Amino acid sequence: MSDESANPADRTETATTVDTADAADTTETEADGGETLGGASSASTVASLQARWESARDRELTVIGLTIVGVSLFPYLFARAPVVSDLLQGYQELASLMLVWGIFAIGFDILLGRTGLLSFGHAALWGTGAYAAGWASANITTFPLLLVAIGVVTAVFLSVVLGWLSLRRGGIYFAILTLAFAQMIYYMASAPLAFITGGDNGLTGVEIGSLLGVFDLGTELPSVAGTLLGTWRYAFIGAFLVLSVTAIYRILNSPYGIVFQAIRENEQRAEFVGFNVWRYKLAAFVLSGTFAGLAGALFTIHGQYVPLSSLYWQTSGEVVIMTVLGGVGSLLGPLFGAGIYLWVEYIVSGGYPFDWIAPYWLLVLGLVFVTVVVLFPEGIWGLVGDLRDRVATRLEER
Amino acid sequence: MALLETQGLTKRFGGLTATDDVDLAIEEGERVSVIGPNGAGKTTLINQITRLLDPSEGDIVFKNESILQTEPHEVVQRGISKSFQTASIFPELTVEENAEIAALGAEHGSFRLNFFRHRNRYGGVSEATRRTLEAVSLWEQRDMEASALPYGDKRRLEIGIALASEPDLLLMDEPTAGMSPEETNATVSLIDEVQEDLGLTLVLIEHDMEIVFDFSDRIVVLNRGRVIAEGTPGEIQDDPDVQEAYLGGVEL
Repeated sequence: MSDESANPADRTETATTVDTADAADTTETEADGGETLGGASSASTVASLQARWESARDRELTVIGLTIVGVSLFPYLFARAPVVSDLLQGYQELASLMLVWGIFAIGFDILLGRTGLLSFGHAALWGTGAYAAGWASANITTFPLLLVAIGVVTAVFLSVVLGWLSLRRGGIYFAILTLAFAQMIYYMASAPLAFITGGDNGLTGVEIGSLLGVFDLGTELPSVAGTLLGTWRYAFIGAFLVLSVTAIYRILNSPYGIVFQAIRENEQRAEFVGFNVWRYKLAAFVLSGTFAGLAGALFTIHGQYVPLSSLYWQTSGEVVIMTVLGGVGSLLGPLFGAGIYLWVEYIVSGGYPFDWIAPYWLLVLGLVFVTVVVLFPEGIWGLVGDLRDRVATRLEER
Repeated sequence: MALLETQGLTKRFGGLTATDDVDLAIEEGERVSVIGPNGAGKTTLINQITRLLDPSEGDIVFKNESILQTEPHEVVQRGISKSFQTASIFPELTVEENAEIAALGAEHGSFRLNFFRHRNRYGGVSEATRRTLEAVSLWEQRDMEASALPYGDKRRLEIGIALASEPDLLLMDEPTAGMSPEETNATVSLIDEVQEDLGLTLVLIEHDMEIVFDFSDRIVVLNRGRVIAEGTPGEIQDDPDVQEAYLGGVEL
């Protein structure tokens, strides 16, 4: 019997399945999966692989299912539900924006959380995705899906170049290089390329057509969907979030996921078990750049305007903060990080819960950040995990 | 034809010549120890073979092919694996994941575009992971975080990682450094067993003379970057040059 999945909880589950499969052979399997007496036949190996594949797929479906539920309920709870929405002061457009930044942050975490590389230049990828989509909407097509594709492809191309240049160095030098290249792109956009980007004024004249030529993104969805999700625009962005979570889940469970972790833990060792570390780092950079570009394009579709600040280093800093706040190295944590960051930026800065607090919203953000980092080093997601464990222990004690 | 050959291998660091015109030939299935006083160039020699360092002159031939133009990970893929002087493991991953990474490296190759393919689909990996961990007697501890292992076990895990790469030639840089006498004995018998089971070719760098003389088919003595003697343990023991240069004239 062989099972080696990363998740201990999954292991017990798998072990049970495999035990059943093995019962046909005279293979004796201890509960702890210890000694196997007599050879396991190839049939049971196949069965165990099958079982592991199935349980992996089940978990994947669980993650995707929960994400869909979360994405569907969120705008209702945030913007329309009684009590909760009053408490949060949320509104529909902010919910969409949180999802956009959430995509940016969960993609960024492939690089920061999994591979252990701190990029301080992801604004370049987000901003380029946003500008590419915006420029294309004014010049090529207004179909939202095509705009997303254009934004993503442009960002992928740029991330290959930026990654290739920046990954010459590791650690802090890598961070500085990404920052330097991103700032170069910012200055290029601000003046020499102002005839494309609109310079300091940002890119105006963005025009977003209707989805598949039928559904106007600004209109409300029919019946219950309208109550829950609100607009087509939110549904459009939400679909991409679900897609992103699925894709990243897949990536993390592919050989890439474990190689990224190996590189984070011990780069030299990873090289000396035969992995081309440099290429995997570039792959991590490009994958995270893909999601940055996707989020950037969605940002344009959401706001129908691209500010020059989307390329500024502060944007790179924001995504770092969101990711750390939410929980580095957790799949869904950065979504919460993005949500909280934007909530403070948009709601607290508007004078909630106290009028006098408005000018101090950055201070509030700083306090939240410091509190989380000091008390919960694994971010908000780590806190959620702790609570879940504590509840589980309580329930077991009963 | 030897499995590994170095031809006139020379490495200079500024004015210092760390290895000086080293010619080695290691036959398949052999156990060779490289000994020498501190600073003799043993580690530099290994680092050149694993391609961590570029030689200043000379050539390295493995399986009849020069590996001078290859990257370290390609050298591993061709069948040279190395266990490090310190416990070079993946500390925050479980023991099992540590071995899994190494097995995946062997099965999967140095790089592929397969980021949507589930790693459970690489069936040989779990098999190899288990085999490796059983070989180094760490299967029972497979769910532990690697950093929580006692030092001796970490070193064994490190050897396991090197083995899981399915090498033809294993280079071991002081595998028993820092171990207690019991751990040392256990490790030596582990290496012994594994070498016989897998038909490995082994190159050992070691300070512990007892291990070296017990274990080796052949001993190469380095001093100041040069090979000053080469032969069976018996021949080395009787070699006056070795006693002079390395053992300081002390009778063994």
